[in-house]
Amino acid sequence: MKRSIPFRKEKTLFIDYLAVFIVVVSVAAVCFLFKDTIGYRLVSFILLFVVSILALFFGTGPILLASALSAAVWDYFFIPPSFTLQIGETEDTLLLVMFFIVALLNGILTSRIRRQELNAREREERTLALYQLSKELLTANGLQEVVQVAGKYFRQYFYINRSVFLWESDGVLDVTPLNEGDQTTTDENKKIASWVYENSVKAGKYSENFSSSDGSFYPLRGSQKCLGVTCVWYTRALIPAEEQFMETILALVAGKVEREFLSAMAKDAYILSESDKLYKTLFNSISHELRIPVAAIMGATDTLLSDRYPEHTRKRLYLEMSQASVRLNRLIENLLNMSRLESGHLSPRPDWCDVQDLVNKVTSTLKQELSVYNFIQEIPGDMPLVYIDFGLTEQVLHNLILNATQYAPEGTTISVSFLYDKSGKLIFRVADCGKGFSPTDLNLLFNKFYRGEKAYSGGTGLGLSIVKGFVEAQGGTVTAANKADGGAVITVEIPVRISDMSENKEN
Amino acid sequence: MMKNEELILIIDDEVQIRRLLEITLSANGFRISEAATGKDGLIFASQQLPELIILDLGLPDLEGFEVLKRLREWYQKSIIILSVRNSEEDIIRALDNGANDYLTKPFRTGELLARIRVAIRQNKPHDADPRLEFGNLVIDLDKHLAYKNNEIIKLTSTEFSLLALLARNSGRVLTHQYILKEVWGMGQIEQTQYLRVFVAQIRKKIEDDPSKPTLLLTESGIGYRFGA
Repeated sequence: MKRSIPFRKEKTLFIDYLAVFIVVVSVAAVCFLFKDTIGYRLVSFILLFVVSILALFFGTGPILLASALSAAVWDYFFIPPSFTLQIGETEDTLLLVMFFIVALLNGILTSRIRRQELNAREREERTLALYQLSKELLTANGLQEVVQVAGKYFRQYFYINRSVFLWESDGVLDVTPLNEGDQTTTDENKKIASWVYENSVKAGKYSENFSSSDGSFYPLRGSQKCLGVTCVWYTRALIPAEEQFMETILALVAGKVEREFLSAMAKDAYILSESDKLYKTLFNSISHELRIPVAAIMGATDTLLSDRYPEHTRKRLYLEMSQASVRLNRLIENLLNMSRLESGHLSPRPDWCDVQDLVNKVTSTLKQELSVYNFIQEIPGDMPLVYIDFGLTEQVLHNLILNATQYAPEGTTISVSFLYDKSGKLIFRVADCGKGFSPTDLNLLFNKFYRGEKAYSGGTGLGLSIVKGFVEAQGGTVTAANKADGGAVITVEIPVRISDMSENKEN
Repeated sequence: MMKNEELILIIDDEVQIRRLLEITLSANGFRISEAATGKDGLIFASQQLPELIILDLGLPDLEGFEVLKRLREWYQKSIIILSVRNSEEDIIRALDNGANDYLTKPFRTGELLARIRVAIRQNKPHDADPRLEFGNLVIDLDKHLAYKNNEIIKLTSTEFSLLALLARNSGRVLTHQYILKEVWGMGQIEQTQYLRVFVAQIRKKIEDDPSKPTLLLTESGIGYRFGA
């Protein structure tokens, strides 16, 4: 990409005058050598031509010099009598005056055209730059990228290497962690930024307010309010056209920033409405799940209190109450686990774990549920100790096995198999011989509150989403599938460290 | 039923829990005293000198851990924590601060009674008998030998120390930290993998089915408990 020249050289340098001088003098010298063959009048045309050419490259000052110099040289060296400023013939005097005027006009006009052309090119470049900028902003994702894009344009078109964006968050205007540039902002600068933010007016160096500051502060104006403040450190003052260019860039950036803010707000609103939906689902499903066991307990206790029933009836009622309370407790556990996940405070605390312990713990908790199944556990003899969070993984295994007991017909086989994959993963599968998952189930299974298409009545649809959450909290994955011969299988893979301690080694 | 008439102090602010405990425990031959606040609990404990204290951690006036700490400044007998808090941190903290056992609410009363019996047994001065019997397993602390079905089990010295430590405290949860400190010394306090490996080895030697241990039980995330 062509590097544009945003800062036009307004000051003509001494070197320009020197160059003009040398060109005119050397052309005159060459002409002087052939003076006799070409005649002194032709020399005037050659010099005129040279001045016109010079006008394409140099500003008004050097051209003025070139015109005067060439007129003088022509007079002194060429117009007879040579080596005097005197002019022999009257028509030569006229010719010299005309030469000077034409050279001057020519030079100045050409120079002006050149400047206009330069201006036009600059305008075009800026328009192109703005177009590029708006395109880049369009694809920028998030404030961070917006800031980076803006920083790039500051560098490219204003040679600004230091810029800072400040946004308001929670009532305090503060620096965003930015691009590679300087991010430190002094308290003084923050004060100015706050003023700019409140008044939506430019301040800092090269402006009317706080002009003693080293940075220049621009408000990022949104359609309704000021969105933030940009502070840039210029190396020199801008001309009005550049100032305008800067403001246009900032307007584009502000537009994008506003869209970013709005989309963040929309996201918040979406989350809010989602949580509202969640709350309703939760309320419906939980109130049902809470009331049923409570109803069972109340009904059973009322019966037990009011009448004298035979021992076996009483026993059955007690059992009913016991089961209802287990169910209530399970619901509470699930809700607490879910809120642990939702709160984002879940941080695994891994420790060395014997997989056999894990299985034993879960199977002893689920002894009653598993008693009507043919439960098989497969753990390889050389299974190493694995470094996992026991509690989380226990809950995962517990929910998976409990699920299997709720969907597989009694008397069938439920199997749990463990293996350590050489790639560094603990893999375990829970398989049952139930009806398996429907295609819809397979997609939605791990969603919160999703109940399978063949779901039994009761249940919250939290179990598998907790499984997913707890597995992912440990960096693992969980997948569901149907076995070839029917029945569901859920596979959990968790990356783990394994112990390098071998057994039978006395330390 | 044998009349033990031992006094149990219940410090719990929930009247329903106190009532349930009162009904269950007195039906099992214990005398009951109840305190609804930590301060009352501390006073009652010093006045009545109960054989066992059941302490809730969520009390209205004092933090349960504070009550535990103050009790442990002078109270020598067993304290069982009965709390809704079920995080491993809380359990380990309570056990490391002098609680003999920890049960989370909701609990099974059968389980609580078993734990109470173990805790009260621990109050009694240790038997002079160096032979500890657990079904077909016999551990001779004097001779540093263990027998299973009357046959000597080959144990390394570390394995025996670990087994002896657990067996002497049978029925009681010992935290990982505690076991590591007692058996290996302070140096390897974070090395739970040693513990796991040795537990697996001991299980192979003393359990009928090492994959379904009945003697050396894992308390997930907390430690180990020996015997029922």
